[in-house]
Amino acid sequence: MSTAAQYLALSRRSVLGTIRTPIAVIPSLTFPLLFLALNSAALNRSIQLPGFPEVDSFLQFMFATTVIQGALFGAVTAGSSMATDIEGGFFERMIAAPASRSSILVGRVAGVAVFAFGQAWLFFAVATVFGLDVEGGLVGMLGLSLVASVVAAAIGALSVAFGLKTGSSEAVQGAFPMAFAIMFLSSAFFPRALMSGWFLDVAEANPFSYLIEDVRYQVIAGFSWSRLVTALAIAGALFAAGLVLSGLALRGRLKETS
Amino acid sequence: MSAAAVTWGIAERSVKLIPRVPSTFIPSLVMPVFLTIAFSGPFASLVDLPGFPADHILDWVVPFTALQGCAFAGITTGMGLARDLENGFYDRILMSPAPRSALLWGAFVATILRAGIALALMLLVGVVSGAHFRDGIVGIAALTIAGLGLAFAAGAWAIGLALRFKTQQIAPLMQTGVFLSTFLSTAQMPVELMTGWLDDVASVNPVTYVLALARQGFLGDVTWAVTQDGLLALGGMIVVLVAFAYRGMQKVIP
Amino acid sequence: MSSNRAPIVTERLVRRFGKIEAVSGVDLQIEAGDVFGFLGPNGAGKSTTVRMLTTLLRPTAGRAFVAGHDVVAEADAVRRSIGVALQDAAIDPLMTGRELVKLQATLHGISRAAGVRRGEELLETVGLTAAADRRVATYSGGMRRRLDLALALIHEPQVLFLDEPTTGLDPSSRVTIWDEVRKLNTEFGTTVFLTTQYMEEADQLARRISIIDAGKIVAEGTPMELKERVGDPTLTITLQHPDDAIDVERILMSFGEPASGSDGVVAVRLAGGSSRMPAVVRALDDADVEVHALELHMPTLDDVFLLATGKRLEGAEVPSSAEEVVT
Repeated sequence: MSTAAQYLALSRRSVLGTIRTPIAVIPSLTFPLLFLALNSAALNRSIQLPGFPEVDSFLQFMFATTVIQGALFGAVTAGSSMATDIEGGFFERMIAAPASRSSILVGRVAGVAVFAFGQAWLFFAVATVFGLDVEGGLVGMLGLSLVASVVAAAIGALSVAFGLKTGSSEAVQGAFPMAFAIMFLSSAFFPRALMSGWFLDVAEANPFSYLIEDVRYQVIAGFSWSRLVTALAIAGALFAAGLVLSGLALRGRLKETS
Repeated sequence: MSAAAVTWGIAERSVKLIPRVPSTFIPSLVMPVFLTIAFSGPFASLVDLPGFPADHILDWVVPFTALQGCAFAGITTGMGLARDLENGFYDRILMSPAPRSALLWGAFVATILRAGIALALMLLVGVVSGAHFRDGIVGIAALTIAGLGLAFAAGAWAIGLALRFKTQQIAPLMQTGVFLSTFLSTAQMPVELMTGWLDDVASVNPVTYVLALARQGFLGDVTWAVTQDGLLALGGMIVVLVAFAYRGMQKVIP
Repeated sequence: MSSNRAPIVTERLVRRFGKIEAVSGVDLQIEAGDVFGFLGPNGAGKSTTVRMLTTLLRPTAGRAFVAGHDVVAEADAVRRSIGVALQDAAIDPLMTGRELVKLQATLHGISRAAGVRRGEELLETVGLTAAADRRVATYSGGMRRRLDLALALIHEPQVLFLDEPTTGLDPSSRVTIWDEVRKLNTEFGTTVFLTTQYMEEADQLARRISIIDAGKIVAEGTPMELKERVGDPTLTITLQHPDDAIDVERILMSFGEPASGSDGVVAVRLAGGSSRMPAVVRALDDADVEVHALELHMPTLDDVFLLATGKRLEGAEVPSSAEEVVT
């Protein structure tokens, strides 16, 4: 079997595995939408505050955050299903098979990236029904969903690294609030212009702030190549770090098994 | 047979188990602290909105996250009960002649004790973060009643679920109930500043009134009108959910 | 109503789960001071019956009385009279032995001081005093069963239910538990209801046995009666002089159908049971046959089980929780 075919087969397994376990997918699909619905209704008046960027609604302001949040949620399932695989012995069988070892990793990560991409468009469809207008049009939306894919791949790789390291799906799910926390400590839910004090310092030091702001721009202002490239670069850097760490973790795990 | 001794025996065990199953209880303490940061940090300038009832965002957020912390600490009793039912330990308890209601009240007392720990922590967070206890001890008393009362209701909800499903896998449903009921209230905004559907939901959600009871001492003076509504809402929730727990017990034991 | 003074009586006891009838019309009568062995393959209805008798499950039909009390109408009185040692999982591994004993005493309405005294006594009896302040998670399987036994005895019950008390234990721990159960029964006259997957255990402990299969009692009696019902015991005679074999075979014709093996061994299935053995010895004596050894092989309870249920009892390897899944 060629390497490309192996990647394809393992990605397919990963995507199908995700879709076939609805319990794992439901939080990823519902929680971000629930937060979007709640915040849009609760915080819509806040767009009148002086300094708030010009937006149609809080829904429009927050939509990009919701897409990235969905990518985060979905990505953690990659790590926890990797841990479940290790607990369940699938991993040993895969090691024993003559599959290229990096395909184990890439298959998993590609699976969540594809899932995040699809999920972004599903969110788009739902939010459109509730009045969302993406200023950057379909191109802007495509940019946003690409960034979501790379973010999912990055967090997926990181949680795979963690899953491989700990071998416990519970530990990976326990680590999920970390991703959630990092997002909260950024300008994901409110504009930086309205922050002050120590929190502003934290949000400014958090690369997630810039990533979100650049994809949000595609939604609230219009399509921008330079901002899209910046967002992709931040997500790409995170992905590279995730790949290195999970590669190291995989090597460690293989040493243990052999 | 002393029902009080049984109640206390069950409650004492539950409290003793807190440090022995840290993975259940610690998150219920970490989360409200984190949410305090997450809901005050980014949204500090909400207080500048015309008609916003607080001068400082922490006065608005701390009572809310304190209530949430109490409720989440409260449902850990239900998780413990689910564990006992799942691994068979509860069979041992049920085969004893201890009065069934004493067993339930043991779990309720444990719920309130556990919530007390979360409440103490959140009061500390309030002091450290600089929330204003404008009505002093009276305000703290109002928060305590609201927090422990809500924990009682949440605990009864979780205990009722545990008795029906007898598995720890039901924990996410316990949490979702608390999440939805607390967020679909005036968690972030007063009803007057909401738009769309949320104001309708929040105005009929009893948690909104419990939250008002908890918040009043942080925003100004404690008033009887607000207190009364809060107590009524608490009473209603507790009666309904305790009945839910009792029915669950009847389903477990012939 | 409970005119019958026997500690455990069931009358056409039935339990259905949906369409499945786990227990279908079980009649049991266990006399005071008996050790009763309840045998059956996994899923036969053993655990379901025990759960009904210990008030954890309501019967669908029929009645059951424990210590003279109806298990449904007088559940509390039943609970006061019984001690139950459940399977392994029912001890919270996060608690210490002493905490569990204390909680058990509280649940049974024993005052704090009396509970402490009785608890210490029991921990001493089962040899757990030194380990009493350790969490149960650190206990061996045998220690857990001994603690379980202590917990079941805290309120000096009239009737003791032991649900597979030695499943998964090593042979020496098993013997310790058996000794403890025998002592309880002989010294205090406690009636014991024992479910087990081990034939040897039933043989060692039980004075009467019932075998349940597919929810019905398929055999009951003393171990000896049950074995005799299977068939005649086999008498094996080893001769001093192998040449006598043919003569001996002729003598044995009147006791059954003898067969000779090599090296002067002759075997016969004794028609009429073990009571015919003295007559065999006399006959051989009269014929001046020199006997080197005599062995009487009774049918085992395994044979009884096979005859009654058509199955071998293979439960020892099956995790004990499997039965609960099925029933």
